[in-house]
Amino acid sequence: MMSDASSPTLRVDHLGVQLGGQFVLRDVSIVVDAHTTMAVIGASGCGKTTLLRAIAGLVTPERGEVRLGARRVDLLPPNRRGIVYLNQEPLLFPHLDLFENIAFGLRLRRLPERQVRERVAEMLVQLELDGMERRHAHALSGGQRQRAAFGRALVVEPALLLLDEPFSNLDPDTRTSMQDLFKQLAHRRGITALLVTHDLKESMRMGDSFAMMRGGRVHAYADRKAFCADPASGVDREAAFWQAFASGEVQVPRCDVPTGDS
Amino acid sequence: MRRVLAWMLSGMLVLPLVLLVLLSLARHWTWPALLPAELQVRQWRDLFADANGLGTVVLRSLGMGVGVAVVATTLGFASSRSLARHARKGRLLALLHLPFAVSPVVLGVSLLYAFLRLHLAGHMLGVMLAQLVFAYAYAVILLSGFWNQRARSLEELASSLGAGRRQVWLHVLMPLARPLLGVCLFQTFLISWFDYALVLLIGSGQVSTLTMTLYQYFSSGDIRLAATCALLLLTPPLLALGLNHQLLSATIVTRLEAYDDE
Repeated sequence: MMSDASSPTLRVDHLGVQLGGQFVLRDVSIVVDAHTTMAVIGASGCGKTTLLRAIAGLVTPERGEVRLGARRVDLLPPNRRGIVYLNQEPLLFPHLDLFENIAFGLRLRRLPERQVRERVAEMLVQLELDGMERRHAHALSGGQRQRAAFGRALVVEPALLLLDEPFSNLDPDTRTSMQDLFKQLAHRRGITALLVTHDLKESMRMGDSFAMMRGGRVHAYADRKAFCADPASGVDREAAFWQAFASGEVQVPRCDVPTGDS
Repeated sequence: MRRVLAWMLSGMLVLPLVLLVLLSLARHWTWPALLPAELQVRQWRDLFADANGLGTVVLRSLGMGVGVAVVATTLGFASSRSLARHARKGRLLALLHLPFAVSPVVLGVSLLYAFLRLHLAGHMLGVMLAQLVFAYAYAVILLSGFWNQRARSLEELASSLGAGRRQVWLHVLMPLARPLLGVCLFQTFLISWFDYALVLLIGSGQVSTLTMTLYQYFSSGDIRLAATCALLLLTPPLLALGLNHQLLSATIVTRLEAYDDE
């Protein structure tokens, strides 16, 4: 696990962002502890993406501060914040092959060639993409592209990783395996991450701490229990539905699961 | 039927070139002979032995074309990015069509008045500046298509991974735009290379280019020397077209399209 200095606590204080003359973020304050993942859940259009973009420096806030550990980063340009923003879409540079895509951030940091090769090779193995080094984006599946995008972000060991609904375009199986892969890598590398999603299950699987976003405001929960207990989170409704479904109380067509007896 | 149409189209494109080649090599070609009775290379020798120094004229035309193409494409690429993010993008883009909406002669006359006051009329620099009005507008219009949401996302991604402004341009934007930049260089070169009206007006007879020489031969009634000069005029564009075709069919375009489709 990495030191607190390389993956510090994120502290957002009274952040306000105006877009097109309207406040999209209003007085947002959150704390994400070092080496943990905070899941922010909210409906489409509530300002989740804007929150991440403001932290990454891709949108200029009207007010507020963003700190990573003791360092105030909102006054720095995006490339000097040590924050990697991962888009909903797994964007790979189309002019570079898989190896060079993952090596992109390392090359910018002018690391020795040997070190670049070693770190990329190690990452490719962790991502189970070894042997595909020379493939370009168009020759990779959606899941492979998403893994590559993760690898490219993680290999530079960012102080903070921002995940903008990163699994929403994937099929359920790939999504689950990607969520597991992320948890595994985040734990191994001690990543501090902020994830925004509208998927309740995803937030429960990925998050160590939780927050709810509505109308540009964020409400952070003390712990998982408090999140589940809040009716606004929808956890109780979801759980009640599946309990009712399992007991046959819900009137929906049942799935006939093959028993294997035939 | 399709084959016949293809042959007809090829014939329409190739026949004028064949005619020019035959004219440039013909010694005696009188009606109603289908082909010249005798061929010679005298026209080519005469062309380069000309007291006007055709070699210098060719070099000047090439230099002007390359200069206009490089300046227009460089400025156009940077300007098109600013234009794509401008609040009044539509109006500015419409304004850039103005040089093409009015006749080059009309624009040339008004520029001549200004250039006479600036002591630029009758100079190669003045002609190039006048050509740049068209070439720059063309470059901005052509390259503005590059700055779509995907380009912006890739730019932001690179910057989030640690790329400074210069690195974003060098390692992401320019490689991505390479095919389009190739097309732009080619087209803006042709604007200068084939220009006659602006050379005539702004050059005021002091700047001799290959198009001017061609018209001089043609108006003096020497159709064979004019044909030889016309072939010379066609050579760089045909070579550039071959190069440009390679650029256009480069794998990067295929990759970009494949990536966009998914």
